[in-house]
Amino acid sequence: MFEKVLIANRGEIALRIHRACKEMGISTVAVHSTADSYAMHVRLADESVCIGPPPAKDSYLNIPALLSAATVTGADAIHPGYGFLSENARFARIVEEHGLAFIGPTADSIATMGDKVAAKDAMKAAGVPVVPGSDGAIQTVEDAEKVAGEIGYPVIVKAAAGGGGRGMKVVESAAGIADALKMARTEAGTAFGDDTVYIEKYLSRPRHVEVQVLADGQGNAVHLFERDCSLQRSHQKVLEEAPCPVLDDAARKRIGTICADAARKMNYRSAGTFEFLYEDGEFYFIEMNTRVQVEHPITEMICDVDIVAEMIRIAAGEKLSIRQDDIVLNGHAFECRINAEDPVTFTPSPGLVAEYHAPGGLGVRVDSALYAGFSIPPYYDSLVAKLIVHGRTRDEARMRLKRALDEMAVSGVSTTIPLHQRLVDDPSFAAADYDIHWLERFVGTS
Amino acid sequence: MSDSFDIDAEFIRKLADLLSETGLGEIEYEDGGKRIRVARPGVAAAPAIAIPAAAAEAPSAPATAPATDAAHPGAVSAPMVGTIYLAQTPGDPPLVKTGDTVSEGQTLMLIEAMKTFNEVKAPRGGKVSSIAVSNGQPVEYGELLAIIE
Repeated sequence: MFEKVLIANRGEIALRIHRACKEMGISTVAVHSTADSYAMHVRLADESVCIGPPPAKDSYLNIPALLSAATVTGADAIHPGYGFLSENARFARIVEEHGLAFIGPTADSIATMGDKVAAKDAMKAAGVPVVPGSDGAIQTVEDAEKVAGEIGYPVIVKAAAGGGGRGMKVVESAAGIADALKMARTEAGTAFGDDTVYIEKYLSRPRHVEVQVLADGQGNAVHLFERDCSLQRSHQKVLEEAPCPVLDDAARKRIGTICADAARKMNYRSAGTFEFLYEDGEFYFIEMNTRVQVEHPITEMICDVDIVAEMIRIAAGEKLSIRQDDIVLNGHAFECRINAEDPVTFTPSPGLVAEYHAPGGLGVRVDSALYAGFSIPPYYDSLVAKLIVHGRTRDEARMRLKRALDEMAVSGVSTTIPLHQRLVDDPSFAAADYDIHWLERFVGTS
Repeated sequence: MSDSFDIDAEFIRKLADLLSETGLGEIEYEDGGKRIRVARPGVAAAPAIAIPAAAAEAPSAPATAPATDAAHPGAVSAPMVGTIYLAQTPGDPPLVKTGDTVSEGQTLMLIEAMKTFNEVKAPRGGKVSSIAVSNGQPVEYGELLAIIE
């Protein structure tokens, strides 16, 4: 087992990783930019190293600085968290070349799943249902017209190097395909440095359902059921729940098994999530996330599995400590992503947190690095807290979520707590009657 | 003290008022060797932030001391994380010593990261009044390396 882990991230996920390490008796090294010198996980970690000025490219994305910090502190493993370098195959490779363990999948898995065209091919080969689309990249307008005609409009043009909701263009009819192709290519080239695009069937009212897997790279893989992350704004998840409220046990078992089998076939290692669009009883694979995800806690609440601890064990070479039969679905969980933003305009609201009071009680968990007196820096994303609740049933969890939101107090900065309070009271939300476009309509931006 | 030191009650009242207005805990005033200190009773230097005990003991917790020195106008801070080498090659004499005069752009020491050596150059000319690091010492970004006056 590792003696010392360097946490190559910040904010709430850095604190999450620190906590898992400490519970396993592992020393922690927190790296931080000058803007995060007083971050909670930096204060709690056994050692800290300032690695650069505030901009991410000079600090949290600065590979030489991270490797150097690992070398000077004698860390034997690096956990990349989510975002930043967590899905950077080159970083994963460099870490391992330097004799450190990368707490995540292999560089090859990351590279394959990072290329959305290659990922789809890998899934098809592994028997995972995919969205009907072009078999690979689209080069010419003629190809685009042919494929779109076969799939049937509406279609969506997507960047192969994109993901996370970026680099996509919806085309309603044949009249718009040529322009969409051109625009998508240009944008992809600019944003990702790769203008490869592909086309998929556009589903009009799907839910976003994703399956969590854990695999040890030694032939063992399990699924930890699914999450419903349909409530999104600008392709960013806002409120997630587990399990998906519209799946029955048979469908749940079927898709979970397909994903665990695929992970095994691919000889996958570490935590991973298979993302699907789910419409009319059918699952359509869209992408695989080769990292721990923001919303992992709701899965932990319904399965009683510590996903970060399992990632660390797997990276240390241990076989999976749990078998599929050991994993029992228990109750229902919600997670509210609380951002330091105006709850109506979503304008970022960094600055000094004057007061902070987290809710508590049975079935309430808050994953946050906030504290009264902490200054939220303006240089990074606005997620500052995750309010997670668990209940024996969805309704119990929902009432608990409402109660917890009403207790939570953050002053000095604006947060999206009021948005979540409105959501939790909404009849459609209560009835689980929503799809991936619902939240945009709810906040009035579509 | 040889001079008599008359208590200026009016002045002390002024300081006390200032204390209340500003919400400060104490004010110290000095003028030509005479010093007055006015403090609110029972005001502990309590930080607004409750500091977890472990963090206070952390060996390399974000250091406020180097920050103060690093604020010295002649401070040279580490541009990156790495290990300090004071000489070009092991066994060589150090590139600079305390007391040396250096010119702008002169190499003061090396920082090694990932087997690559980077030169730390003097941002301005002057006299090296102190070197804050030793050979082989790991440094973090922004850490004080030397002071050039």
